[in-house]
Amino acid sequence: MLILARKPGEAIAVGDGIKIRVLEIKGGQVKIGIEAPNDIAVHREEIYLRILEENKRAALETPADFASLATAFSRSRGKLDIPSATEK
Amino acid sequence: MLTVFSSRFGEIKADPDKIINMTSPFLGFPDSRRFILIPHGEDTPFMWLQSLDDPQLAFVVIPALTLVPEYQPVLPAQTRQELKAGAEDELNILLLLTIPHSNPQKMTANLLGPLMINPEQRLAKQIILDPNRWDPRWPVFTDDGK
Repeated sequence: MLILARKPGEAIAVGDGIKIRVLEIKGGQVKIGIEAPNDIAVHREEIYLRILEENKRAALETPADFASLATAFSRSRGKLDIPSATEK
Repeated sequence: MLTVFSSRFGEIKADPDKIINMTSPFLGFPDSRRFILIPHGEDTPFMWLQSLDDPQLAFVVIPALTLVPEYQPVLPAQTRQELKAGAEDELNILLLLTIPHSNPQKMTANLLGPLMINPEQRLAKQIILDPNRWDPRWPVFTDDGK
């Protein structure tokens, strides 16, 4: 891991388009400003981890059969024109 | 037809025109980029989202509006561009469901990280929404089992 010391107001450039600037240090908390191109998603790490964890749970927990639950929804219907497989 | 093996369905014949390509993979599953939707049955909105790159990987998904009619999240900038969708093109929103083995009644839907699909281009991406607003474990059924 690259470790750099920065003072408030100073920044780090990542590649051409990303700048990470320390704005303020106060009471054990650091305020950081991030400039990045629109196509780079920037999130707090814990949000990423929540999604990742939930994806893993969803993939692992999936039961072999949930027909009884599925029929509970059979009355409601969403508009559905997503391409789906026709053959198993 | 593309023939792939899946642990749940055995051999699947997938029409190449129906393959959904992830513009970026699901978090936690970097090696799966191609998926196919398999309806769970005739009379249900549930579908399997089966990976074509990992035989073991399948999610249960449901169209968001079927489950949560008021679900109209603000999309992150660039979502449309990444999915090659014009401003007028309709995107489909699918929710990933987590269905506990032992207690399916406790199934939850991930409203924080929905899957956006451009049905025209068959491009998809899991987006991350406002965590203050949307629950990654939204209970599908109320606690009293209704």
